[in-house]
Amino acid sequence: MSALLFLRQFFMQRLGVFLAALGLSIITLAAGTALLGVSGWFLTGAALTGAGIAFNLFGPSALVRGLSMLRIVSRYFEKLIGHDATLSLLSALRGWQFRALIPRVPLSRKGIRHGDLVSRLTADIDALDTVFLTAVGPILSALAVGCVVTAVLATLVPTAGLAYAIGFIVTTLVLPSLLVTAARGPGDASTKASAALRMRVFDGIEGHSDLLALGAVPWAKEEFASVNQALSRAKGKRILINALGSASTQIFAGATLLVVLWFGLDALSAGKIEGPLLVGLLFAVLATFEVAGAVARYAGHLGAAQAAARRVREISASEPTVRDPGVPRSLPRGNDVSFDKVRFSHEPGRLVLNGIDLRVESGERVAILGPSGSGKSTMLGLLLRLMDADNGTISVAGTHIREVPQAALHRRVALLSQNTPVFLGTVRDNLLIGDPGADEADCWRALEVARLDSFVRILPEGLDTWLGESGRTLSAGQARRLCLARVLLSPAAVIALDEPTSGLDRETEQSFLTDLAHATAGRTVLIATHAQLPEGAVDRAYQLEAGRLVACQ
Amino acid sequence: METGTGKTDREIARAQMRWLMGLGKTVRPLALLAVAAPLVSGLLLIGQAYLLAQVLHEAIMGHTPRVALVPSLLAVGGLMTVRAMLTFLGENAGGRAAEKIKLGLREGLFAQILQKPSSWTAARPSGALAGMIVDQAETLEGFFARYMPAIIAAAFLPLAFAVAVLPVDVTVGLLFLLTAPLIPVFMALIGLGAEAASKRHVQALTRLSGLFADRLRGIVTLKLFGRAEAEAELIEEASETLRKRTLRVLKIAFLSSAVLEFFAALGVAGVALYVGLTYLGLLDLRASPLTLQAGLFCLLMAPEVYLPLRQLAVHYHDRAAAKAATAEIAALFEGLPDLNVKPVPEALQSVRHHQPGAIVIADVTIRTPDLSRTVLERIDLTVAPGERIAVLGESGIGKSTLLEAIARLRTFSGEITLNGQSLASITEADLRSRIAFIGQRPRLFHGTIAENIRLGHPDANAEEIRKAAVQACVTEFSDALAQGLDTFIGEGGLGLSGGEAHRVALARLFLRDPDIVLLDEPTAHLDRATETRVMSAVNAFSKGRTLVLATHSMTVAAQMDRVVRIAGGSLLPSPRPRNSAASQHKGIA
Repeated sequence: MSALLFLRQFFMQRLGVFLAALGLSIITLAAGTALLGVSGWFLTGAALTGAGIAFNLFGPSALVRGLSMLRIVSRYFEKLIGHDATLSLLSALRGWQFRALIPRVPLSRKGIRHGDLVSRLTADIDALDTVFLTAVGPILSALAVGCVVTAVLATLVPTAGLAYAIGFIVTTLVLPSLLVTAARGPGDASTKASAALRMRVFDGIEGHSDLLALGAVPWAKEEFASVNQALSRAKGKRILINALGSASTQIFAGATLLVVLWFGLDALSAGKIEGPLLVGLLFAVLATFEVAGAVARYAGHLGAAQAAARRVREISASEPTVRDPGVPRSLPRGNDVSFDKVRFSHEPGRLVLNGIDLRVESGERVAILGPSGSGKSTMLGLLLRLMDADNGTISVAGTHIREVPQAALHRRVALLSQNTPVFLGTVRDNLLIGDPGADEADCWRALEVARLDSFVRILPEGLDTWLGESGRTLSAGQARRLCLARVLLSPAAVIALDEPTSGLDRETEQSFLTDLAHATAGRTVLIATHAQLPEGAVDRAYQLEAGRLVACQ
Repeated sequence: METGTGKTDREIARAQMRWLMGLGKTVRPLALLAVAAPLVSGLLLIGQAYLLAQVLHEAIMGHTPRVALVPSLLAVGGLMTVRAMLTFLGENAGGRAAEKIKLGLREGLFAQILQKPSSWTAARPSGALAGMIVDQAETLEGFFARYMPAIIAAAFLPLAFAVAVLPVDVTVGLLFLLTAPLIPVFMALIGLGAEAASKRHVQALTRLSGLFADRLRGIVTLKLFGRAEAEAELIEEASETLRKRTLRVLKIAFLSSAVLEFFAALGVAGVALYVGLTYLGLLDLRASPLTLQAGLFCLLMAPEVYLPLRQLAVHYHDRAAAKAATAEIAALFEGLPDLNVKPVPEALQSVRHHQPGAIVIADVTIRTPDLSRTVLERIDLTVAPGERIAVLGESGIGKSTLLEAIARLRTFSGEITLNGQSLASITEADLRSRIAFIGQRPRLFHGTIAENIRLGHPDANAEEIRKAAVQACVTEFSDALAQGLDTFIGEGGLGLSGGEAHRVALARLFLRDPDIVLLDEPTAHLDRATETRVMSAVNAFSKGRTLVLATHSMTVAAQMDRVVRIAGGSLLPSPRPRNSAASQHKGIA
């Protein structure tokens, strides 16, 4: 259960509502128990009294009606309040999970894939809804009512009280925990298989044309089928455990009823209790086991919920890729950038950057050239603190970037990364990510510099044209230019461009680069590229070779 | 729902229900067991209640010592055990039936998606499609495992119980017979609202999956632009919308449960009152006196008469959810896919005689998938066997579109023939063995680098894969990785740079033996030196094959036999750049 403990804080925020739901659930169960008990007692009493003898008919019958109405109303509100609180908890969890992701991305080094991440944020969090609704709530209310019934039984027929206590504890605590333990393995397996299945679907959809072109559709189907079957097997095991749980709960409940009856019959013949009371007690016992069935039915789900909770918590429990300083300094004005003896390796023993020294003055444009994989992207990533250098310092405005808050750094430095996507939304939505305050004219200006304005102008809805996911309605080059425009729109004073012209034709590339000085007027620019740079595009250029910068002449 | 086919909503809903029920056909024996077990268990309950009432009667009225009641008590215990076993059988069978249906559905939907043209998948949010296969398919579990047994039990058991009570007491039996059928009427009224609410709920869920998938893909960008908090709020907001819609569905479900319970309570209270009054002599509708056993039996059976209906109400939203999921599948597929149709197995390939392919493009017009724009208009191009052609043009002008059309990954009007054979008439397997196409944004799949390369030729051995990797300059970076070609890469090539990912995809080419090679910007992400090495491998490979490549690189274009340029939707001949142009790229200006 420990995996679920982190949910405590979310429960605590809604403690009042959950307590109200719990209270109502106790009332519902208690009313049901009392209802059956009173009815049994009343009928038997009436039968024993027989015709013609005065019997208080209206007291018990009013009680029966009152209890049944009470049960209906409290059950309705219990469900409503409980579900509402649970769903709002899930919303908060999603936001929390997304926020927890922020300082931990990029996640590629942690080995967490996109499809997997989507599963964590949707299906896994959804799986947690069972925690209160079908586990914690019913178990607590069952225990509360069970204690009262035990106390009443123990006073009247101590042996029956003991038998009931044992039977009730077995059905509401022992059996469910056995089920949860048994369901842990299959729950874990099904949660993982479900996430893996989602990854296969993403692979199939996003790589559809590759699969078609390679004739690899059967391969994709096979890969999918094997995960699909694994999911089905895990679910099948869970179903078996659930069914076993339901059946054994039924057997224990039945046995308890019979044992209580057995001792009750003894008490009856010994004259310790009356017939009506025996029937009333027996019916009340019968009613309390209604909830035990529900507990058993969902105990299996709790196994999956635990697995989901572990996955949800995994991200927040992992080390952030980079940390904000404990006592942050404010970032002074200035747009200069410097790298000082910066070393970095993706994995031990594989140095990508081996002592980078670079000073870029405010307003300078500097190009980093070099073969792909030489570490150009790494350099820019370090500047934005997507990861931290192993040694050396990187400074912006003369300040070590690890001493200022990341938010301040990101306001000062904007990056066009190689894999930045076009988001689901309109052209405008995509641009405004760069600067939420930008107006129409700003958007067009940015598009113009990125050489995309004439294309957007001929679109039927201009800036408000809806772009499909990953901008698949755009060509690769157009998508790239939209992302470029987004970066140029941002108010950042330092701009880092990683292959800004990949996917652009040579003429567009050359005219963009020629125009770079004008487009980035006054801003500091670091550009990683293997494009041929026209005269005047940059102030200086360096070749990145074997982890070091060599000035180009 | 508005459709152009003139079908009414009701007809559509009925067709969707038929489709849904049709999914259950494959698992009939299990489904029957799931339905039969609760019915048998219900019938046994009658005996159990009768015996229990008898025990109490004899103990209380007849003062029978408990030892004499042992046989009856054992019989009650026996019935309880058998019923528990039936519960096990029924639940397990229902769950397994649903599991099999879901397994088939997921596989069928995935196969359906892959059978569509790639432009179809490209036009849909992948998060929503994934949500449909992974999450929506799950909703069928409730429908087949719980709702179906529940509705049969609700139709049959109340009547059976009423009939069983009739001989014991006619009045109570009639009361049961009369009140039970009223309940479904109320339920149907409430159910109508539930369906509409479920539909909105499922739509919100699909939207949410799409949104999550999209935002998570670009989470780094959002972080760097300081948009993370705003997006987290957006996600909470979308999640809250989902909560409100879910709650609306649940409210209706809970209300229907409450209505049912109200009637059930009235029924139980009526029986209790009748039995009580009869005992007290205030009511006399019977010929013989009512025994305690009969009274208790009636009281024990009263809640049970309404229980199947109450359970049906609980599972009624499973039906609504399954229907809404079906409607969502229908909406994504523009009609319900026929999952039983297996793709026609193509005849085994005869041994293909390798020959460079001739491509003739005649009067071809290609429009964007949403038909809003014409990309290429009435173009003609003839590529001789063994010829190597470069296609130039501004980005977004239609180079990729042209290559995709030749690779039959895009619809067009006009005619394209390969060696005189119309593109449309070539079987898929034949076409794929003749054409190799590497797109501009090739996908790397969940697996190792070697596994990704092997996709080019599934039977390739480690040595062949290594050779292809060397040709595509993959080993230049993979050899530095601890696990080399066996390094695991994520979906979408996570962990590799753009140029590295592209080279892995390019390596697939060298494992194939096509007549025609189509390459879309094969060197876009590469530096000049790597470009030169990759192109020399491509040139060597394309000897004796026809090559069409789209490129922005003049160096690459200069190595081809002929160059064409796309401009303004037309295809124009273009002078071949001089090879010496390559020298410009040595340094920077």
